[in-house]
Amino acid sequence: MNSAQIEIQLIASLVAIACAIPGTFLVLRKMAMISDAISHSILPGIVIGFFITQDLNSPLLILFAAFTGIITVVLVEYIQKTGLVKEDTAIGLVFPALFSIGVILIAKNANDVHLDVDAVLLGELAFAPFDRLLILGTDVGPKALWIIGVILLITITLLIAFFKELKVSTFDAGLAASLGFSPAIIHYGLMSVASVTTVGAFDAVGAILVVALMIAPAATAYLLTTDLKKMLSLAISFGVLSAISGYWFAHWLDASIAGSITTMLGLLFLLVYLFAPSKGVIAVMYREKQKRTEVSLLTFLLHLKNHNELEERHVNHLREHINWQKVRAKTVLELALKNNMIVVNESIVSLTQKGNTFTSKAIDYIITNEDAQIEDMKDDFFLFRG
Amino acid sequence: MKKNILIIAITVLLFNCKNDTKQNNGKLNVVTTTSMITDLVKNIGGDHINIQGLMGSGVDPHLYKASEGDVTKLVNADVIFYNGLHLEGKLVEVFEKMGSNTKTPIELGAVLDKSQLIGSDYFASNYDPHVWFNIAFFKQFSNKVTVILSEKNPENANSFVKNEKLFLQKLEALEQNVLATIETLPKEKRILVTAHDAFNYFGKNYGFNVVGLQGLSTATEAGVQDVQKLAAFIIENKVKAIFVESSVPKRTIEALQAAVNSKGHDVVIGGTLFSDALGNAGTVEGTYVGMFEYNVNTIVNALK
Repeated sequence: MNSAQIEIQLIASLVAIACAIPGTFLVLRKMAMISDAISHSILPGIVIGFFITQDLNSPLLILFAAFTGIITVVLVEYIQKTGLVKEDTAIGLVFPALFSIGVILIAKNANDVHLDVDAVLLGELAFAPFDRLLILGTDVGPKALWIIGVILLITITLLIAFFKELKVSTFDAGLAASLGFSPAIIHYGLMSVASVTTVGAFDAVGAILVVALMIAPAATAYLLTTDLKKMLSLAISFGVLSAISGYWFAHWLDASIAGSITTMLGLLFLLVYLFAPSKGVIAVMYREKQKRTEVSLLTFLLHLKNHNELEERHVNHLREHINWQKVRAKTVLELALKNNMIVVNESIVSLTQKGNTFTSKAIDYIITNEDAQIEDMKDDFFLFRG
Repeated sequence: MKKNILIIAITVLLFNCKNDTKQNNGKLNVVTTTSMITDLVKNIGGDHINIQGLMGSGVDPHLYKASEGDVTKLVNADVIFYNGLHLEGKLVEVFEKMGSNTKTPIELGAVLDKSQLIGSDYFASNYDPHVWFNIAFFKQFSNKVTVILSEKNPENANSFVKNEKLFLQKLEALEQNVLATIETLPKEKRILVTAHDAFNYFGKNYGFNVVGLQGLSTATEAGVQDVQKLAAFIIENKVKAIFVESSVPKRTIEALQAAVNSKGHDVVIGGTLFSDALGNAGTVEGTYVGMFEYNVNTIVNALK
């Protein structure tokens, strides 16, 4: 483990945090792709910055880039406000337009300069430790670490200062307006932070990684919680976890660091997508199965209630009469027994007192079409809970 | 927030409980970029240095992407030799910024006389970076490498100078061989059509008319017009063969071949040339001398 390796992990972790914070709000506001859009729309800013400074390495270029990022956000917001198109369409309209302005400017005026987003901005995480910041001749660490550190500090300060405003305006713009804070100002503030973070992080670690770190951790966290504070801290944890495990994955494979971190983000999302307790695929499948069994149980109980003939209530005949497969019949029978809804006496099934009440109530609700009440009733009768 | 910082700290610690595997054994750690420079430094440094090349065989230096292992190589490097002249793209910038550190990045391209270089039509201060196809330039490179290595590791200076002499003799023999082989090809048949403009110095030295489908950088794509123009040129000059390069996808050259063949002129793909990288290590083409001879033989045999 050498200092460069530690520095890379530190930079990657800070970028992950700096991206996760605005990323969470972007995902909640359905504007996740804005970071990708900014990666393209900053081109005209870079070109104009170059015309003014005539220097490809001037820091002013990055400032212009960030400014174009904010213009992107303002334009997207403006188009979206007309109500004629949705958020994603507005984003898709704005960034190709700005990007092509940049392309045309280059073609007309600077065809003989190696001028593109790549040349000015896109950094490579692997090389970040070699670009040092010198203050009065003393080495104070990689430049990227300082840039990201400052951006992160600003982001966190703004987050703490305006947390309530951000929260309300994200979930209920109308309420925010009536409480006296302008949702527009909060929105532009957030988007400006996102824009500056994106541009700063592009310079440090490259485009794909920034887009991935903005969206993937927040999207993963959203599968696990709907509480904003929890979502923020989960997104940050996922981002950092992927950054560090991705780094060591790259170390193990001797592969591109940004690529490995992005792969880790994808894997983490997949895992959570499958195994999340309430929104995960497996949990949803389990719940659906449970629901089907409940419906079967109700059908079974109704059948018992409607038929007093012994032969209709014989265990072996149930299968033929309600036309169930053997396995399901067994599950339903066991469930009903466990809940004391039925008793089995010499292979004849009869409803208990409890089963009778339950079925009557269920019929009432089904007739009056109040499905929600059945859900409540399940709780009252402790279904599936022994 | 505090919880998160804790999580970060724990994960960093968890993953970092590995020991440093840096090997030094007292030798000079040298890092090189392209495989041509790796071969050159290997010839001069011999067993007295630890050498690590960043770009393996078949890696296009314009499009090289750093891997995690490259970071450690660069961190441990005492001397870095690179081609420069913008060949290595972003990496050149990284090396330039490294100068203030304890490492010594050496741009070999800087030793060449700028007036002898082929300038680009579009860039005032930019030169064609594929300088290794001029053997005389490569001799200058080996001289610079010897000087720097001797400076950094004076104990082995004698050995470096001796190795340089041997290598220069090899290059001299190569030059003679190449000239003899090319003599057998009539002047009017010396037209070299390849995927990108890597062979300009080669062409200038040995009287070839070199035409690249793409420009200097392999990052740009050839347009439909470029293909049509070049197809017309091939038919007009009755060129027998065109060439694929090991570090550039075959697709564009195959499109060119199809365009020419559709107009009734027969052109074959004369073989794969090594332009921006050497062949696999261990093969003949894996060395600079072997690569050069292979290229010349392939070109001459296909065009005869």
